[in-house]
Amino acid sequence: MNVIQSKIGWFIRHVRREWQLYLMLAPTVIWFILFLYKPMYGLQIAFKDYSIFRGIEGSSWVGFEHFYTLFGNDQFIRAIWNTLIISSLSLLFGFPIPILLALMFNEILNQTFKRTAQTIVYLPHFISTVIIAGIVITAFSPSSGIVNQFLVWLGMEPIYFLTKPEWFRPIFIGSGIWQEAGFGSIVFLAAMAGVNPSLYESAVVDGASRWQMMWKITIPCILPTILIMLIIRIGNLLEVGFELIILLYQPATYSTADVISTFIYRQGLIGAQYDLAAAAGLFNAVVAFILVMTANTISKHYSRTSLW
Amino acid sequence: MRLKTLSLAIMVAAGLASTTPVFADAHSSTKVTDKPLELSIHFHTKKYVYDDDWLVEKEAAKRTGVSLKNIASMATTNSQEAFNLLIASGDLPDIVGGASMKENVNQYGPEGAFAPLNDLIEKHAPNMKEYFDANPAIKAAISAADGQMYYIPYLPDGKYGRAYFIRTDWLKKLKLEVPNNIDELYEVLVAFRDLDPNGNGKKDEIPYFNRNWEEMLRLVVFWDGRTSGSDTRHDFHVHEGEVRHGYVGEGYKNGIRHIAKWYKEKLIDPEIFTRGSRSREYLLSEDLGGVTHDWFASTTGYNVSMAKKVPGFELKAFAPPESISGKRIEEHRRTPVKPEGWAITAANKNPIETIKYFDFYFSEEGRRLANFGIEGTHYDMVDGNPIFKPEVLTSDKPINAQMWSVGAQVPRGFRQDYAYEKQWSNKFALEGIALYDQGDYLIPQFLGVAFNAEEKKVFDKYWATAQNYMLEKQQAWILGSSDVDKDWDAYIAQLDRMGYPKVIEVMQSAHDRQYGKK
Repeated sequence: MNVIQSKIGWFIRHVRREWQLYLMLAPTVIWFILFLYKPMYGLQIAFKDYSIFRGIEGSSWVGFEHFYTLFGNDQFIRAIWNTLIISSLSLLFGFPIPILLALMFNEILNQTFKRTAQTIVYLPHFISTVIIAGIVITAFSPSSGIVNQFLVWLGMEPIYFLTKPEWFRPIFIGSGIWQEAGFGSIVFLAAMAGVNPSLYESAVVDGASRWQMMWKITIPCILPTILIMLIIRIGNLLEVGFELIILLYQPATYSTADVISTFIYRQGLIGAQYDLAAAAGLFNAVVAFILVMTANTISKHYSRTSLW
Repeated sequence: MRLKTLSLAIMVAAGLASTTPVFADAHSSTKVTDKPLELSIHFHTKKYVYDDDWLVEKEAAKRTGVSLKNIASMATTNSQEAFNLLIASGDLPDIVGGASMKENVNQYGPEGAFAPLNDLIEKHAPNMKEYFDANPAIKAAISAADGQMYYIPYLPDGKYGRAYFIRTDWLKKLKLEVPNNIDELYEVLVAFRDLDPNGNGKKDEIPYFNRNWEEMLRLVVFWDGRTSGSDTRHDFHVHEGEVRHGYVGEGYKNGIRHIAKWYKEKLIDPEIFTRGSRSREYLLSEDLGGVTHDWFASTTGYNVSMAKKVPGFELKAFAPPESISGKRIEEHRRTPVKPEGWAITAANKNPIETIKYFDFYFSEEGRRLANFGIEGTHYDMVDGNPIFKPEVLTSDKPINAQMWSVGAQVPRGFRQDYAYEKQWSNKFALEGIALYDQGDYLIPQFLGVAFNAEEKKVFDKYWATAQNYMLEKQQAWILGSSDVDKDWDAYIAQLDRMGYPKVIEVMQSAHDRQYGKK
């Protein structure tokens, strides 16, 4: 009894002393509770025959029926594969590029040039997805698009890229990199700014080249940041930005473009099947959870860097 | 509390009134109640919500004694979302109206969220009763699976939607005739492609184009195929009492084979899949497009707007060319009944007053108010007909927008009057409509079915996937990445595996229940 009392007493004194810190923490905690933990209550509709009017409580249980429906559907299985392929490819090609960009920016000495170049590569991040889609459609248009004009100039036949399943992924991933690589480099630049300058100073004294400094100092120092970013990316592997896909795909390219979220979007549109969509979302979350756990464990094992 | 006792009193009074044999004064007075009654309404559309300050609302309040107070917000432009939020909140107003009503009320009405209207109309709404008695097909189309009506629909007037259009000045230039059948249409398109009708020395003409690729599919009608039986794309149609889908028919197969050929020969816009909604504007203003299938009013408008830019520009409606079996069909028409309208919720304490108020808009006086706005402000009565004032007709603002801004022509439950639109249609549109009227090319529409819970489950489970597959194959065939003749048997077999026959089965059972067996 005494132990508990003294612990409570300690906690109250602790909160009183550090209240500013807790106050700063509060918005995030509240946000998590309101928008992430509270909605978890609603996840049960994945196992119910849900009607918005009857509400969550009033709807009857149907067990795993929605999951049977999903996994009995070839198009859903295909959407899972497409999601995994598109995400893995964008991870493979999209992840190193911001790091490379950051390293390059770090090596630029002329400040004016550096700032201008940075602004230019950040810019696409602030353009809305609808506009990006418009730019992509125009750029790849068979009659007036810059890409096809180049092909024609080379003496090749123009290609109607956006109706060709084999071209969808490169175009989607490429435009994603174009849009986000610059902005993604900011976090690595910040990490580089945190490297202790004395390391570089002593390296200069020892006669190290810039190349050697990059390999031996910069990269090892930002490696924890890289690994953390990688783990986060892996956790989001199943979350493909579906707005851009919806704006770019056609029935003709569903075979490579249709991902879990777009599949759900179309299913949900016909008949407002929230319960089915919730089931797919739950599946998505479980897979993401396993992925992030695995990535974290591997990273912890080999590099001692981990999210937790 | 006071409001509650007041409304209770009114209900009792109205209840008493309704027991007296019919309404002797139903037509002489539009008053619904002597004491002013305020009802709350959630009325949402993509562009606006109900406005208590609309002149039409104020006028209606003056004449009926019932005023509506809006609770919907413009926080979202998506009416389905607004509706979902409202239903999920559980706090229902007296009236729900606006866009996306039909499916929603037919699902949540039987679950207890909305009041069934059949009885109320029968007893208290003589004008609506008269209308629905005269139009049993409309009544059947909007009823839920339990046979009850749960909303009063917006009933558009005017039959014609889209038509075939051709650059008649190009025809004259190339000394060609308006195509009468599908072979002649083919020849005209080839001529447009090869003979440089725009005279710029380049082979840049796009013989056939559409604003959406789905619209282009209607070409299969020329090979006796079908695409959609309604306003909605890829919808079912009814053939002699049998529900069918166009995309499994022989005519469709034949049509797709020819569309693929036309597409390959560049008679159809090569970029039709990505050019999007701006294509008509672009192709017409750049003097590139030859033939299209689009809405009367907006398409004929280019004759006026292009007159300066392209000298001699003339884009006229032409009769649908004969199909291979000699039929002339215009597959698209305006739907006679919209999913928009308004409904009475289960929370409404004054259903009788509300239905009487709804009925006001079906009276001659109310219908005129909902169509033309305020007499003296927007229109004058000339020889017993409402005629828009000159300042309304010549204003910079389109008439429909002027009407919306005062609360007329908004999708409440009302009967539109085509005379409203006719007064401001351009002469090219009227000419085209007269041509289509004369030929009588329209075919009956499929007005949809209301599923019961079991049927809905089957439909939801199979249809989205099957339709997806249909569209994937369809585009692959048109783009030439596979061959319709080679794929056809496997395609039908795959649809069977995907549960398409089950979908047709539930469509048929719902159809038979609703419209009666043939």
